[in-house]
Amino acid sequence: MTGRDVTPALGTHGGPADWRRARPGARVALQRARWEDAAWSFLYKDDTRYGAAPVDMDAVAQVNRRMRGAPAGPVHGPLLNAPVWTWEIPLYFWCGGVATGSWFVSVACDLAGDHRSAAIARKVALGAVAPSPALLIADLGRPGRFLNMLRIFKPRSPMNLGAWALVGFSGLATAAVGADLLGRPRAARAIGGANVVIGGYLGSYTGVLLATTAVPLWARSRLFLGPIFVCTAAATGAAATRLALVAAGLPVGHPTRTALGTIETGAMTGELLLSSLNERRLGRAGLSLEQGTPGRLFRAAKWGVRLGLALRLVRRPLGPPAHHVASVCYLAAGLAFRYAWVGAGKVSAQDDEAVARMARGAVTVDDRATGGPRRRRLVSSARTPRGAKRLQRAYPELVRRASLLAERLLGGSGLTAGRSGTGAPPAER
Amino acid sequence: MTRASPTEIAIHAPAAQRMGFFTDTTVCIGCKACEVACKQWNDLPADGARLRKGASYDHTGALGASTWRHVRFVEIADGGHLPDIPAVGGGRGEQSGDLDLVTVAAQRANGAGGEVDVAAAVAAMDDWIFMSDVCKHCTNAGCLDACPTGALIRTEFETVVLQADVCNGCGYCVPACPFGVVARDHDDGRAGKCTLCYDRLRDGLEPACAKACPTDSIQFGPYDELVDVAARRVGALHARGVEDAYLYGAGDEPADELAGGLGAFFLLTEPPERYGLPAQADSPVQENVVAATAAAYGAALLTAAGAAVAFLAAARRPLPRGPRGLARRRAIRGWSR
Repeated sequence: MTGRDVTPALGTHGGPADWRRARPGARVALQRARWEDAAWSFLYKDDTRYGAAPVDMDAVAQVNRRMRGAPAGPVHGPLLNAPVWTWEIPLYFWCGGVATGSWFVSVACDLAGDHRSAAIARKVALGAVAPSPALLIADLGRPGRFLNMLRIFKPRSPMNLGAWALVGFSGLATAAVGADLLGRPRAARAIGGANVVIGGYLGSYTGVLLATTAVPLWARSRLFLGPIFVCTAAATGAAATRLALVAAGLPVGHPTRTALGTIETGAMTGELLLSSLNERRLGRAGLSLEQGTPGRLFRAAKWGVRLGLALRLVRRPLGPPAHHVASVCYLAAGLAFRYAWVGAGKVSAQDDEAVARMARGAVTVDDRATGGPRRRRLVSSARTPRGAKRLQRAYPELVRRASLLAERLLGGSGLTAGRSGTGAPPAER
Repeated sequence: MTRASPTEIAIHAPAAQRMGFFTDTTVCIGCKACEVACKQWNDLPADGARLRKGASYDHTGALGASTWRHVRFVEIADGGHLPDIPAVGGGRGEQSGDLDLVTVAAQRANGAGGEVDVAAAVAAMDDWIFMSDVCKHCTNAGCLDACPTGALIRTEFETVVLQADVCNGCGYCVPACPFGVVARDHDDGRAGKCTLCYDRLRDGLEPACAKACPTDSIQFGPYDELVDVAARRVGALHARGVEDAYLYGAGDEPADELAGGLGAFFLLTEPPERYGLPAQADSPVQENVVAATAAAYGAALLTAAGAAVAFLAAARRPLPRGPRGLARRRAIRGWSR
């Protein structure tokens, strides 16, 4: 918050300007009401040749399609503004993931009848979710206004729902741990079971948050980001819980230890598989995951996972310590994955060529690198089967309808205008 | 005309109609009066001028948190790159593309320096287009969908306005804008973008940029009237032989619409990428949120179920047997007690 002076000339910092006319309802000098001074031009009246042609909307639509679908030629950036999120956000993603994963584990422990481990897992989850609000607030441009996130309930915005999920999850987690401490295990178990519903969103919405942006890398991975983040969450949560339980004296060979090992391995294998699958279909947009610092982090994370999996395979000769090292590997790899995904998004947003090609629907496997063959499709007159074309049109419409319906059902009257919107039209004066 | 979704956070007024901008690049002279007028009216700070910012003669860069109108210089000579004029005078920066006419004149007067074809260089300068870029006030606005605080609202004029007293600077609207318009101010901490001079509109005044534009390249008015004017202008240009003139953001068939139709649309003569505009765009939130949430939440529930299965399977496995496993069996039973 250093640098130039941002004090407004009128009003207060961050508030609407507080000025009023000397006389209520007074005219602004030279003003003509209802934008008569504007509509529509002061130069090009009917006596000029500016718009001397009849309106032909079909011709306009035709030339629009031709020009927007024509070969692009050089791209003059910038097309997108890069995300402004700093180091706190990926760290928060990681913490939230660990919390979700541990919560899943705690409920599974309860189901299997190991209530002592479940109580410890709940504490791990609460410990992981505790720094999350602080991290989120630190990243805000105006940290003092964090509570503005909760001034509305807006199902359409993943960040708004995520903030609510964070509040709900931390509240229920605190209640469950409190019930544990007060010696009310049944209450703790009930709250724990209910919190899975919120925890599922907390662990997965981060992927949705990234996918609902215009950044090519994230938007193109929209169906993969959520599942990938969930896998990381489950693996890191299980790893953290496992380490905590071992420290608390969970004996070797206990079913909980076995199960945690299975979850770690399964989730990380799934993560690796989904990531590799996604990489293959990203095309040009995937370059940002391969180059620079994000690329190095991504590769390091993948090698961390591979090392962990290898240590699990050879654990018999090496014994339990090898498995502890594997758990630490998973935790570190999870963190590196988060930083890689967020960092790569920033690079991807600045890759003007990738942005332009995604807009033309041409980011495919066959134009992977900069030198690849440039296959361009028209905006809407792509040569696709008729059915597919109809589907292409119907699908976004379906998505929009579903989104609106969900919002209407969930949001209801919670959506109110920010300011008291009197919104009077300009008065005739 | 497509109207904004009824569930948006919006101000409604009975008699209000959709207002917009029509920016005609064929009459823009690149004077940047709109930028100055915008900064003055909206009390925006200067960004600091630097010549050849972004490898162009354009010295104000791009749209940002404190630049709500930006006149983009589109140098179309030499396949979209700057005219490749060798620097004259020596040492002033190699291949910079700057043409130092004073030095050229001095060298000519001294009878030296014939290597630069001044006439051609000056002619190349004519291969420019100027485009006054601004927030598009989309019908399907990504920033508005993303905003978690409700700071971004739809006004009664169907424009998208950021309430600076609500914004907490979360930064989500920045990547959610498919046109790279919204940005977060580093010093101020909040996002900023064009309001289509909402305060002026409420008083029946046209926006500051449109008021200041000396060639009426920026035209303001009721949306339907503007589309009508723009379509007539396209027809007139076609009749004069400018066959590549087209509208960016208006007059499309429903399937081709950009973000449901742009409240601020443009008349362009080159492919959109030349102006830093995407050929197709929509609100990324509306496009992706349902599919992505279904995939993500489904995966989360599957993972939770998988964890439960792993535990139940492990619990059914027999404990270590025989005298050797005795100590372990005791330890395992001891844990749960």
